[in-house]
Amino acid sequence: MTGSQSVRLPTTAELTVATPEGVLFRLPLAGPALRLYAMLLDIAIVLAAVNGLGRLVYLVFAKAPGFGVLVITLAEFAIGFAYSALLEGFWNGQTIGKRLFHLRVIDQSGLPLHIEQAWVRNLMRLFDALPLAYLVGGISVLSSPLMQRFGDRVAGTLVVRETPLAVPLDEAWSRQKYNSFLEYPAIALRLRRAATPELASLIQDALRRRNELAPYARRDIYRDLAAYLQSEIAPFPDELIEMLSDEQYLINAAGVLFADQRLQMVRATFR
Amino acid sequence: MILDLERFQAQSRPRWSKLESLLVALENRPDRRLNLAEAELLQELYAQTAADLNRVTHGALAPELRQYLERLVARAYAELYYAPPTRSEIWQPRRWLRIFTAFPEAFRRQSRYFALAAVITLLGCALGGLAVRYDPAAVDVLLAADYLHNPGQRVAEEEKGQNRHSDSTQVQAAFSAQLIKHNIEVALFAAALGVTFGVGTALLLFENGVLLGAVAVRYTQQGFGLFVTAWLLPHGALEIPSILIAGQAGFYLAQLLLRRYEDRNMRQSIREWLVLIAGLAMMLFWAGMMEAFFSQRHAPVLPYGLKVAVGAAELALLTAYLLLIGRRDPGAQARSNLPSENK
Repeated sequence: MTGSQSVRLPTTAELTVATPEGVLFRLPLAGPALRLYAMLLDIAIVLAAVNGLGRLVYLVFAKAPGFGVLVITLAEFAIGFAYSALLEGFWNGQTIGKRLFHLRVIDQSGLPLHIEQAWVRNLMRLFDALPLAYLVGGISVLSSPLMQRFGDRVAGTLVVRETPLAVPLDEAWSRQKYNSFLEYPAIALRLRRAATPELASLIQDALRRRNELAPYARRDIYRDLAAYLQSEIAPFPDELIEMLSDEQYLINAAGVLFADQRLQMVRATFR
Repeated sequence: MILDLERFQAQSRPRWSKLESLLVALENRPDRRLNLAEAELLQELYAQTAADLNRVTHGALAPELRQYLERLVARAYAELYYAPPTRSEIWQPRRWLRIFTAFPEAFRRQSRYFALAAVITLLGCALGGLAVRYDPAAVDVLLAADYLHNPGQRVAEEEKGQNRHSDSTQVQAAFSAQLIKHNIEVALFAAALGVTFGVGTALLLFENGVLLGAVAVRYTQQGFGLFVTAWLLPHGALEIPSILIAGQAGFYLAQLLLRRYEDRNMRQSIREWLVLIAGLAMMLFWAGMMEAFFSQRHAPVLPYGLKVAVGAAELALLTAYLLLIGRRDPGAQARSNLPSENK
């Protein structure tokens, strides 16, 4: 299937932006692990670039090796800061590493960041990298609701995740031809009314991740979910339940919850 | 669950795709300016998609569709409300050269933080100097390194040229690179420590002052006052002020963080910090060059009087630069701001 099938709801922190038109949208924030991978990749790229430049300088300054060292030392120092600052500033918040890991630096307001912000957050790395291996920055990310390191706090920026998305396709439960729950329109409508959005997305997630779950975990989760729905939300008759596996129970429930055309049928039957 | 999702998606998908392709075209060429028709189309598609998002958020259980629409709206929002710098704005050498006037201007605007940095350093100097002067035990603690501890020996070595591996310009060039890099790192660190609300910056400046005061008194006590002035002044004339400016940037940053919720123009404020950093980096480049190529040569190669004179001249020039460059005639400015009354 397409990539959209494997995309899940953000489980980590998110930024909520309210536009002047009164529209709310959320952007999922990037956690420290992804950011670390992107940074390691960027460091590798910078090292490779400096190394290449070093060879060139060595050739050009063959007669004056001291000045070669001067040039390469200062270039290495400048590239270390400028690589991220310039790329983020002029490439809409992305370095090569961030682009590959689908991360982007943005302004706290949800808009792209300015070049000044890119410079500040990258110069502040000197502080975030303390005392070693970005410990200060890492603690700052973990303790901040917007997952900002100190450089981000000063510059007013944050890093968001941008997993590529496509318009979601039809789900398994909307493709099923017959749903025995719809034989009981009153109980089906009760299920639709009583199920919270959280419960509905829990069922959706459980079904979607069918093949990622270990068999015993799947059995337990499906059994618990079905039992909860049956006892707390909408009790379907026992003679129907006895014929259904827990998984089929959940597929039917999702069909009732998500597939909208069938709602028309339910209404029609009910009338 | 009021919405018939399938019909809704089928109806709206064309405009989502249209918006998406418009956004891709814009994002791939940031320098491109929209024509009127495109701008209107973008605005219209944005409004429609935002309305779709609202319907999905409140009328349907479709977390993934919601996420997709949120992403689309976020991208369109960024295109509509943010003007990226154009290429012609970036590649103007004259804009880059403006740093030479912007730096002294920023320095003067934030001069009270420079004064604070200077006072803290002077307090450190006083403590270090007094400790070495009146408490012999302090010498071992403050000046642990041997060359600081026994100036006589170091002066003799320096004058004989023992600490110089070679007089070669090549070695000096490489040495200057290390100095420049190290000094900029320290200065940048002092400026970044402003994030500790200035406490870290103050401690760093104070410690620096203590060492400076202790060395100065120790060398003077033992009769090497002229030597140490001639040794340090040619590069110290820029190095010490640049550390003070780093402290100034640190305190400015602390103030910025404390008042960030009142700040209407954060972008302008952090640009000021960056200008101070850029300025002190230029100063430290010069200081590194002087330290490697000039300061390390002693009498009889370079008479001490000459070295001190060069250092003093640098200090005078720096002071004039920081205080005078970019200063507009206040009378002229005031006149231009006044509405003319005798029309």
